[in-house]
Amino acid sequence: MKRIVYMIITFLVVITFTFLTMQLMPGTPFKNQNRLSPEQLAQLKHFYGLDEPIPVQYIHYVGNALHGDLGGSFQFGMRPVATILGEKAPISLDLGIEAIVVGAIFGILLGIIAGLRRGTALDYGATFISVLGISIPSFVLAVFMQYLFGVKLHILPIAYWKGFEYHIMPVIALAVGVVANVARFMRTEMVEVVNQDYITTARAKGISSFSVVFKHSVRNALIPVITILGPLTAAIVTGSLVIENIFAIPGIGSQFVDSIVTNDYPMIMGTTELYSALLIVMIFIVDILYGVIDPRIRLAGGR
Amino acid sequence: MENILEVNDLHVSFETHRGEVKAVRGVNLTLQKGEALAIVGESGSGKSVTTRAIMGLLPKPAGRVKSGGVVFNERDLTKLSDKQLQKIRGSEISMIFQDPMTSLNPTMTIGKQIMEVIKRHQNVSKTDAKNRAIELLELVGIPNPEERIKQYPHQFSGGMRQRVIIAIALACNPNVLIADEPTTALDVTIQAQILDLMKDLQKKTNTSIILITHDLGVVANMAQRVAVMYGGKIIETGTVDEIFYEPRHPYTWGLLSSMPRVNSKNSELFAIPGTPPDLSNPPKGCPFAARCPHAMKVCTEFMPDYSEMSDTHKIACWLQDERAPKVQPPEMIQIGGDH
Amino acid sequence: MTLLNNEITKDMFEPVVIDSTESEIIAGKSTSFWKDSLQRLSRNKGAVVAAIILLLIVLLALIGPTMNKYGIDDQNVVRQNLSAKIPGLDKIHWLPFDGSENNVDLYKTQHAKVDFWFGTDDLGRDLWTRTWKGTQISLFIAVVAAAVDLLIGVAYGGISAYFGGKIDNIMQRIVEVILGIPNLVIIILMILILRPGLVSIIVAIALTGWVNMSRIVRAQMLRLKSEEYVLASRTLGASHTRIISRHLLPNTLGQIIINTMFTIPSAIFFEAFLSFIGLGIKDPVASLGSLINRGFGVLQIHPYQVVFPGIVISLLLICFNILGDGLRDAFDPKLRQ
Repeated sequence: MKRIVYMIITFLVVITFTFLTMQLMPGTPFKNQNRLSPEQLAQLKHFYGLDEPIPVQYIHYVGNALHGDLGGSFQFGMRPVATILGEKAPISLDLGIEAIVVGAIFGILLGIIAGLRRGTALDYGATFISVLGISIPSFVLAVFMQYLFGVKLHILPIAYWKGFEYHIMPVIALAVGVVANVARFMRTEMVEVVNQDYITTARAKGISSFSVVFKHSVRNALIPVITILGPLTAAIVTGSLVIENIFAIPGIGSQFVDSIVTNDYPMIMGTTELYSALLIVMIFIVDILYGVIDPRIRLAGGR
Repeated sequence: MENILEVNDLHVSFETHRGEVKAVRGVNLTLQKGEALAIVGESGSGKSVTTRAIMGLLPKPAGRVKSGGVVFNERDLTKLSDKQLQKIRGSEISMIFQDPMTSLNPTMTIGKQIMEVIKRHQNVSKTDAKNRAIELLELVGIPNPEERIKQYPHQFSGGMRQRVIIAIALACNPNVLIADEPTTALDVTIQAQILDLMKDLQKKTNTSIILITHDLGVVANMAQRVAVMYGGKIIETGTVDEIFYEPRHPYTWGLLSSMPRVNSKNSELFAIPGTPPDLSNPPKGCPFAARCPHAMKVCTEFMPDYSEMSDTHKIACWLQDERAPKVQPPEMIQIGGDH
Repeated sequence: MTLLNNEITKDMFEPVVIDSTESEIIAGKSTSFWKDSLQRLSRNKGAVVAAIILLLIVLLALIGPTMNKYGIDDQNVVRQNLSAKIPGLDKIHWLPFDGSENNVDLYKTQHAKVDFWFGTDDLGRDLWTRTWKGTQISLFIAVVAAAVDLLIGVAYGGISAYFGGKIDNIMQRIVEVILGIPNLVIIILMILILRPGLVSIIVAIALTGWVNMSRIVRAQMLRLKSEEYVLASRTLGASHTRIISRHLLPNTLGQIIINTMFTIPSAIFFEAFLSFIGLGIKDPVASLGSLINRGFGVLQIHPYQVVFPGIVISLLLICFNILGDGLRDAFDPKLRQ
């Protein structure tokens, strides 16, 4: 299938891009660089393979990457990047998935209500909430929640990830953006669907209002919503960088920021690639899913 | 013959940001058992709105029945709650709509869509419902029903879809079928097929039909009685023969004249000059006065009463009043005239 | 329905001359697309309120810093960490403007003689001035970035859509690859290479934002390309430029405006986030993000240092979004009532 090839090409381009970026970054990863003599510096560089011509480094890197070896982290004394990512990824994954699930459920419900009661107070209320959700920067919200629930009211822990109650604030902070986007989209789709002829037909059949809403309207409105799952994943990734930082959650997000500060190139590259891989795969899955769920596409033999 | 459905002095309005639009202004209709009544008129005349009001399918919250009633089975439908109406829709009164391409849910198999209405109103098992659906598909002339029942609407042509829609409408043997321009969106040859199908089914099931159309050819083909609507009111009603051969209202004359004829002496098509009235500000007299070549002062001031030419033929026109000048219908439509 | 017969006299049955051309006049004035949309927009109360708030904020951003005599970098440790105090409002104690913290009047304890409306930070700098100056910077970055996005995005999407075929294919593949990396990651990497600073931030944000605009422009143009009036124009021999400038562009303008309304808050957000993680504007120049960043450190003891810039940035984002939504609704002829 063509799309798998595209996926791989895209990923390769991403790897190339991150590699080039690394080369352009100022500074070197060695601490106290100015205290080393030029010979020591050269030795270190040689040890890490940093003194070979760039194209050679590139080929080494890609070759290793395809074997799952993303190099060693400078920050952590050459511990394999892949291993470190492997440890931290599940945490971020956990946070991300929880946020998407919670966000999607509430977003869909909110969108249905707003779409069905278009133009009423309920609609404006729901729309307003979703605008708030989209606009208030996640870190502002997170900080605010930390202050209110953590410091002032002392009912929720403000950092780390050690148990269920630690999940509440970060997931909510991350999910708010999801809720807002999904709700807005769902509302538009609902309004569109509700005005369709087949809904009138359904009502003319004497079907109960509940069935008309859920079996007909919602089901049809839900389909296009799947298409935003791709960009949504990207947004969650972005958001997690922020949230993990604020709530000191030991996931990939905080690691990324750390590696930036410490100039840990392999780590930065590896994380970027991981994120990209995730995103590319997600977009791919969404494409396929959409074709499967909508019978018009499924049975017409694709686009 | 008893009346199976009666519409009494129905007034329907829409609230828009421009004000109140009076779409239906005092409509009276009767439908007898087993007959086909055609409601004819231009876009905006109020014919669709009337039937939606019967079914309780006016868009909420904008549309409202302001006064009048619809009597069916000794109950006034306009006074029933939506839940009560749901029991009647699809089982006792069914409705089919104009555009078959958009009237079916694209993500549900047509089998499910037929079975949905059966299971909603009848207490049958899934297998029974399925068998009934297959039966219905055969009835409306769709080949290979066992296979097609699993297919989706986009796998059917326009004419086929309309047949499916008819099947759904007749699934529970309703007493009344309301067809809102069922053939307008179809090719002419398919139109003829669908009309034949409907006539056929009507004979078999003795369902009463209200047929909305702007096409007089369809009326001639299918209807026993005709009601002509304009500007939210019924301006003439009668049997098919009476309307075609003895029309009395200038608007009806206009409609008949604008039917294109193959062997006519005139090379130009006739069109009634002017545009329909603005119903947010309806004229206080006869709605057709502004476009009527025979308009009199009284026409712009007062709405005419109904005069009866026969038991079945009623006209709302001041020309019927004895004080009015005698006017002949235009040459084109007189019997033996142009055709 | 029965009329009294004596109301209607015989002479009323005289024919009336009807000028049927009168009834051919279509009721209701026709307005241009823009006027019509503007009307619809002004009926949307939320959007109007949002627009007003935005104007206020912009106004304050421009004249705010000049309203008192402090610059953004006037330091005086003596005045450090004073809470906000606005003369007049300081008597209302549940508002955060009474200059006290934990019920201690800081102005008294630190012998401060002048009122600082938004308080001061740990270096004694006036937060009112810094906040509004920061707003200036944030807005500047956002608008410039959005403008660049607009130019690149419209050009890219337009060319892609107009010429179609292979060119379109290639250009879209490139876009797909770019989409494969999360925006923020690209931005961060850019900043690392280019070193944090005003220009680099604008460049980084603009570089990732044009993709969205190009997609929307392309989608709209593709839709328009197949419309009949474009075909008609072509058949009449119109040149490429004429078709683009007279037909395609004006009809895309609506979408472009809407998208820009959403690009700006997105840019503000990115800049704020960059500052938050330390990759943004460096001291002493302030941006809303950097102010929040600094304030975050002392959130628990001096919340006002975060609250004011936080509110301003939230308001900016909310208002742009509401206005964008309102414009979208206003430009959509299908939503006509």
